[in-house]
Amino acid sequence: MIRRDSAMSVRRWAVLLVAMFFSSAEAHFQLLYTPEAALQSSSAVPLALVFSHPFNNGYTMDMGAPEEFYVVSQRGAEAPRRTTDLMEFLEPVTWSGVETQAAAFIANPPRRVTRSLGDYTYVLRPAPYYEAGEDKYIQQVTKTVINVGGLPGAWDEPLGLPVEIVPLDKPYANWVGGVFRAVVTAGGQPVPHAEVEIEYLNHEPQIDARRFDSDGKVTAPQDSFITLSIRADANGQVMIGLPKAGWWGICALDLDDGLEHDGKELSLDAVLWVQAKDMVR
Amino acid sequence: MVRTLSAMTLLFLASAAHAHTPICDCYDNGDDTITCEGGFSDGGTAQGIPMRIVDTSGRVLIEGAMSDNSDFTFAKPNVDFLVEFEGGEGHVIQIDGRDIEE
Repeated sequence: MIRRDSAMSVRRWAVLLVAMFFSSAEAHFQLLYTPEAALQSSSAVPLALVFSHPFNNGYTMDMGAPEEFYVVSQRGAEAPRRTTDLMEFLEPVTWSGVETQAAAFIANPPRRVTRSLGDYTYVLRPAPYYEAGEDKYIQQVTKTVINVGGLPGAWDEPLGLPVEIVPLDKPYANWVGGVFRAVVTAGGQPVPHAEVEIEYLNHEPQIDARRFDSDGKVTAPQDSFITLSIRADANGQVMIGLPKAGWWGICALDLDDGLEHDGKELSLDAVLWVQAKDMVR
Repeated sequence: MVRTLSAMTLLFLASAAHAHTPICDCYDNGDDTITCEGGFSDGGTAQGIPMRIVDTSGRVLIEGAMSDNSDFTFAKPNVDFLVEFEGGEGHVIQIDGRDIEE
């Protein structure tokens, strides 16, 4: 017979174990979301900056003020690159996840920012996030690449970020059923066998409502499918399948050893978002 | 906007067999000038591509060519007009002046 205090203790441990189990099955991902990656013609591009778990969105985390937020654009392969700072367009909001609310940001830069044809690579360097469960900070340098009008630009060029996932395929032009390839880099060099996590953005962000859609698009058959954990090859290259339309996040973990923030370990991660489209008439 | 998209869609259909699709888009600078940008779907430059601004009867109002930067700026006509981008091999992109936004 279990005494009452022991029963409570067992229940508490069970809750803790379940929490640990779930936290290990899903990954933190910095979202840099816009609904459409391949625009027919120029228009204003709304953005949502949310730190969450894209597959389940059970827990959304507070973001501090970003350190950097800008877009690098290029019209045509030979044209000069242009960098436009976007910090002035950041608007702090409370974002609702499926279970929690958290501090996040939206941005509505005017059409003039994306008025030209070409590629636009949005870059976000968020404030380091303290992850109490691991007693360390996480900072995810995040890129989202969109295109206006079908005229490509610098989508395949590294931007000189300290850690970066450099695309080998256009992140905005992918059919469902295809594959996407990229190279994980740190300090401009490929990172052999980098630890990489993949998640599907299962709950569509609704920017105007400042929340995720409470209905997910798919269900994972088992926890291994929530975050797909893979390794880059010996050349730092990753290749992922795209079995479902929508956004896929690629996150390469802890790419710069020995970094600290406020006396704690800092995991400097690189995130790239890729959008896949259904083949329809 | 719908007209512009229709024009672009028609062009895409017409040139679907070509690897490099010509692309052109225009915006109103808000100072009585309009800038058109061009290029090709492989990232190629539109430098030197002929540009024509015609009225609704087809009369040529302005003629020129895309600059080294693959753009072409012209004074906004006082009448309804069409922008024509000579994309090559008989494929002309037409953009209705009424669809050009700031």
